[in-house]
Amino acid sequence: MRVGYGRSPDPVAAVRQAVAALGTAADNARLLMAFSGGKLDPFAVRAALADALGPVPVVGGSAAGAISRSGSGYSGFELGLVAFHDPDTAPQFLVSRGLEVDERKAGADIGAQVRSVVRQDQVVLLLFDSVASTQPPKLHYASSIVAGFNEAVGNAPVNLLGGGLLTDMNMSGAWVFDGDGVSKHATVALVFPPNVSAETVILHGCRPVSAFMEITRIDGATVYELDGEPALKVIERMLGLPIGGGRGQELSLVATLGQKQGDPYAPYDEKSYVNRLILSADANTGSITLFEPDFEEGALVQIMSRDNGLMLDSVRRGVEEMNRTVGGHDNLLGLYIDCAGRASARSGSSIEEAELVVRGLDAKVPLLGFYSGVEVAPFDGEHSRPLDWTGVLTVLRRRQ
Amino acid sequence: MTELRALDLAKLERELAYYRRECNDLGARLLRLQEEQSQAFREARRSRTVAKLIREAHRLSDLCATPEELGASMLEVIVENTLCDRAAFARHEPSPTSPDLFRVTHAIGFGSDAPAEFATVPAAPAFFLTTARSVIESPAYELTGILRMPYVLWAYDRASGHALILGNHSEANVSRPFESGDQELVEGALSVYIDVLARKQSEIELRIAKATAEEASALRARFIATLSHELRTPLNAIIGFSDMMLPGSSYRLTAHQHAEYAQQINESGRLLLELINDILDYSSLAKVAPQLSLVWCRAETLLGASARELSALAMQNDVRLEVRRGEPGLEIKVDQLRFRQVMNNLISNAVKFTGAGGSVTVSARQRPDGAAELLVRDTGVGMRAEDIPRALEPFQQIDGGHSRSFPGTGLGLPIAKGLVEAHGGTLRIVSAPGEGTAVTIMLPESVVRIAELPPAEPGAA
Repeated sequence: MRVGYGRSPDPVAAVRQAVAALGTAADNARLLMAFSGGKLDPFAVRAALADALGPVPVVGGSAAGAISRSGSGYSGFELGLVAFHDPDTAPQFLVSRGLEVDERKAGADIGAQVRSVVRQDQVVLLLFDSVASTQPPKLHYASSIVAGFNEAVGNAPVNLLGGGLLTDMNMSGAWVFDGDGVSKHATVALVFPPNVSAETVILHGCRPVSAFMEITRIDGATVYELDGEPALKVIERMLGLPIGGGRGQELSLVATLGQKQGDPYAPYDEKSYVNRLILSADANTGSITLFEPDFEEGALVQIMSRDNGLMLDSVRRGVEEMNRTVGGHDNLLGLYIDCAGRASARSGSSIEEAELVVRGLDAKVPLLGFYSGVEVAPFDGEHSRPLDWTGVLTVLRRRQ
Repeated sequence: MTELRALDLAKLERELAYYRRECNDLGARLLRLQEEQSQAFREARRSRTVAKLIREAHRLSDLCATPEELGASMLEVIVENTLCDRAAFARHEPSPTSPDLFRVTHAIGFGSDAPAEFATVPAAPAFFLTTARSVIESPAYELTGILRMPYVLWAYDRASGHALILGNHSEANVSRPFESGDQELVEGALSVYIDVLARKQSEIELRIAKATAEEASALRARFIATLSHELRTPLNAIIGFSDMMLPGSSYRLTAHQHAEYAQQINESGRLLLELINDILDYSSLAKVAPQLSLVWCRAETLLGASARELSALAMQNDVRLEVRRGEPGLEIKVDQLRFRQVMNNLISNAVKFTGAGGSVTVSARQRPDGAAELLVRDTGVGMRAEDIPRALEPFQQIDGGHSRSFPGTGLGLPIAKGLVEAHGGTLRIVSAPGEGTAVTIMLPESVVRIAELPPAEPGAA
């Protein structure tokens, strides 16, 4: 697996740079995974890739930015490529559409396809369109897609990883490279052969800043009440300023709702929290809408604050842990699925946490990352689930 | 006992409530501190845009070959730092029909959507921004139309005519809406662009000026070297032969030698005179235009006179010289004396460079666009296309086997070209080795006409 990176407002130039970096792997690629900045014309990128590489299928899609050893950024002009040229480790890809109709059903559809091809314990990378609509802002719920996927896969031995695709940090749009062309509302699954395994660490960065509160009224992703009070009022009191109206989107920069897994009164451990970013707020109903609809009435949650210091510590610890785990193995690819909100332009972090991954991960591991809308990874020893405000660092390696 | 336990429980509940309240209060303070810190970092990043542009200016200037390339590179830096969705540079376009016209010179972030080429911004403000509360009327209407984005940030430098506009899809772009505090950012970025653009333009002008000066210096050196050689050769002949002919000379010359040397001295003197005349002519080319005495004259008559003048030379070289009959009434408004000089130069050159048995044809016609075309074509030695520009430089008879084997000052063609240009025309050479040369003079329509011919006299053939 070889990684290429390019950056230019001209899609052809960006493709030329990234393909050149692939070296000879470009000539023998069986499949190409591409993450293209949202300001690049996807059709022009796809055409340029076809010109450069011939009829090689291309999977992936838009990304708020790309991360690699030869460059990183989120200007919207980045292009990250992975060429799968070794037939022993190249994944097969499957496509499902119809997220705009029924996300759970689309998830189940791709899950059923995966189940039909999986033989042993296999790594599956799920990439999907994260944006259902921009007016009003609505996401394709990853929790519904993953729930559908998990139902259909059943007890098949699958190590599911994934990311939601975005064009930018404002969630203005998204699109998917589906093998042949460019699609909206699609999901692509890359199923790696049994001889490829994955090591994953989840990098966090939030800490609780409130006591436990009970969700006393919720409908889908919209939380109306916390402890019997309008949810927005609770948040506004915490922040000390009114948030309603057009500024609702800013909340995603500030606070999340976190649900602690396991014993709620156990000492703080970042790994035991599932966080949900706030997509919007409605001053009229006093409600907040989360990125995912997977919290339920009666659930105990806490208001969580992003903590940039904690985020950077978490990255350092996670990368060290990963290096210890994968050292001495036949590592094929490091993949970093990084929540776009963690980028310094959005989080306000003094340094780019992605830079810590680039610099910290064993230099012998080829690395490509992309800025995502949501991350999917195995959580707490259970089925994989969607996560917010995390970085999912995975190293694919040849099984020994 | 039960009462005590109830008191303990109540105390514990109060304690729990206290800790919950404190936890939430402290948490809220932590949340606000974290947000303030993040906001400070985001603002710092935004404000670094101009600093980064200044830092990158030299690199971008070196990377970009032309001033036009600078715009795209600088927009890339601006978009990367401000994280706006689209951005463009525009320039005020002087237009008699619309005084508020701007041309979008560079745009970025449009993907498959093509940016507008022109925009009209009435009374373009120096600074402007739109928010959700903006009323969509002029200039908000026109400015949002440039990027087709509802939220824009605009700066315009009236002195240079350049403008910068940034735009976003959503108001709370990444961290916050555009605000009046962003004036420094957008104006600073525009200023850096204008400065670097001016620097790049000056740099290119300096490079051109340097190259021109170097070329002129080399040309002058070549000119002086050749001139010295051209002057010395006949002078040496004059001095050398006259020395031999002087009374008291040790040479015992026969009458035949005496006559021959006198002839050589005479020819060298004439050549020297011709050379000096040509040099004076060439050096006065710059001021010849205002001194031209333009009169209408028949093209055929002009060409015929020159051909007759050079017919002896043609016969001597065994070259057939022919004037092709063109449109009988074709007249051109030229300085007769100077234009004869042009035609004489061209025809004598053609005869000189055409071997025995070859031919030279001279013709004139009016083109469909009204211009006059005068053509001198020979079947001579010709020259390579890359040598043609040099043939038009002074003393630049083309190097090679035949270069100096043909007599002449090497100023004929440059003088002819200068005189044609002084008449408002152009001189063009088409040539190929072994296939001959065609020199075409084009005179503009304004100095060309077809005169009414007097009716033929009765009985005339």
